[in-house]
Amino acid sequence: MTEAVIKTRQLTKEFIRDEFHVVALKDVNLTINQGEFVALMGPSGSGKSTLLHLIAAMDRPTSGDILVLNQSLRDLGEREMAHWRNRHIGFIFQSFNLIPVMSALENVELPLKLTNLKKKERIEHAMTALNLVGLGDRVNHLPRQLSGGQEQRVAIARAIVTDPDLILADEPTGNLDAASAQEALTLLEKLNRDYGKTVVMVTHDPHAASFASRVCHLGKGVLLEQEPSLAQ
Amino acid sequence: MKVINYLPLITKNSFRNRRRSLLTIISIAASLCLLGLLLTIYQTFFYSEVTADQALRLITRNRISLANPLPLSYQQRIKQVPGIREVMITQWFGGVYKDARDPANFFARFAVEAEKLFTVNPEIKLPESEQQAFINDRTGCIVGRKTAARHNLKTGDRVILTGDIFPVKMELIVRGIYEGTTDNESLFFHYKYLNESLSAGAGFKDIVATYSIRMDRAEDANTIAKSIDDMFRNSPSQTKTETEQAFQLSFLAFLGNVKLILLTICAAVTFTILLVSGNTMAMAVRERAREVGVLKTLGFTNGIVLWLMVGEAIVISLLGGVIGLLFAGGLCLLLRGLPSAFTFADFSRISVPPSVTIICLLVAGMIGLVSSFIPALSASRRSIVEALKFTD
Repeated sequence: MTEAVIKTRQLTKEFIRDEFHVVALKDVNLTINQGEFVALMGPSGSGKSTLLHLIAAMDRPTSGDILVLNQSLRDLGEREMAHWRNRHIGFIFQSFNLIPVMSALENVELPLKLTNLKKKERIEHAMTALNLVGLGDRVNHLPRQLSGGQEQRVAIARAIVTDPDLILADEPTGNLDAASAQEALTLLEKLNRDYGKTVVMVTHDPHAASFASRVCHLGKGVLLEQEPSLAQ
Repeated sequence: MKVINYLPLITKNSFRNRRRSLLTIISIAASLCLLGLLLTIYQTFFYSEVTADQALRLITRNRISLANPLPLSYQQRIKQVPGIREVMITQWFGGVYKDARDPANFFARFAVEAEKLFTVNPEIKLPESEQQAFINDRTGCIVGRKTAARHNLKTGDRVILTGDIFPVKMELIVRGIYEGTTDNESLFFHYKYLNESLSAGAGFKDIVATYSIRMDRAEDANTIAKSIDDMFRNSPSQTKTETEQAFQLSFLAFLGNVKLILLTICAAVTFTILLVSGNTMAMAVRERAREVGVLKTLGFTNGIVLWLMVGEAIVISLLGGVIGLLFAGGLCLLLRGLPSAFTFADFSRISVPPSVTIICLLVAGMIGLVSSFIPALSASRRSIVEALKFTD
């Protein structure tokens, strides 16, 4: 039987923006199983990034429950949440968000600084991750010396270097050209298929969504429908 | 949190915006150079260690002011106080050497009792033959090594001093060049020659500005000073007796409350640089708001993020502090060349002492800490989602 790694129940997120009360997510019930590749789709403001942030423990829900890897995120304090993110989550941003003054290797090594690994071990792990994304020959390059596609691959290496249980990607192809987007999606697919990683990806792009095994549609903060990907 | 793990990140981030970091370092360096120099001068004025010979000397002057002389007759009465080895007349002459408009021509000139000078001021060293030549020649004088070098004076040269306080022109012959431990710049000549040169009706004859006293033991300084002052308490010319160091500091008092002035400037310098750094650090932290969100997403706690940012500010401030102290050390070398008559203290060996180095580095560290703490705290506490909304 497949184990559920993400389970939300009546998950709601509300906030106040410029005096307006905004309901970003309303009563979302979603289950994602171990080893799934799920795409979250929907128009801007539909709540897909908010849902991703809640799964990543980057934000707290207003109400409802969220259980990720059998951990109720509502029960964690700020410090515990930070440690939990470091151990279990690999997050990929749309705009890469690499530290500009650090080389590719140093960027990938960054999450490992929070672990008990020795410097040599950290370098080995970071090199492994960079080799996996095909950038073993760019380790000393600064982000500005890399193309957009290469930057995103460094960001993917950074996301997987701690060997997380979940890989969460927020529009990972949004800033990439078609070829680079294809490379990034292929990498995510490989991580899911060959390494058994559970991947949740927010995207606008139906082509990107086609790499997923399941597509969840959101609209105005509500989970509308779930369907197998066109590719399945 | 292993600080060593984050040092490369801290140092690299410190110089992310090189121009701004450089300007911040320069402004902190300039301020801490000034602070270091002022504190060094303060220490030299008020806390420099006296030599063993200085500790054995007292100066007696008129209680009202230096402008009011003491009678010549006091010398014998002072000599009778137990614990005193010698009492010497020391008369500030002043005068003009060559051209008064050239500051290089200004050096201290004293009329003294030559035969007692080497007992009261044993640190004045010169060959025995020159010493005797000076003592035996009523018109002779001795000159400190630095002043002699500055004016190319050597034994046998004539020195003419035109009095500006005393209405007399002193024609002197250099009989020796002395080397002193605390003073290498003064000129000493015979008080007897000065006194005899003055006409009786001018009002300057047989008067003394100060008596230099050599004691047997430094521990008796307070007792002897009190005994002397008590002796003349009911006289028309009351005395004030103090250590040589206190006497020298009294000249400084002519400038006002120098302690307060120096400390006020130090405080103002520190406060100003705090504001400048605070503004810069706030800007630097704000620019990095999005990066804070990224770091926290990777698992960095609020505490680590806070100290990373504070650490960057401290690195910049300490670097500024070190550079400032190096410049302060350089300025001290320049001060060493100033004639002591201009500096009110012995600056011949002035250097930034370890205590001032420690204070300045602590101040630099505090500037980094205080200027960055509030913006860094605020940034570290911002939610990840809010932080990620910031655009560069």
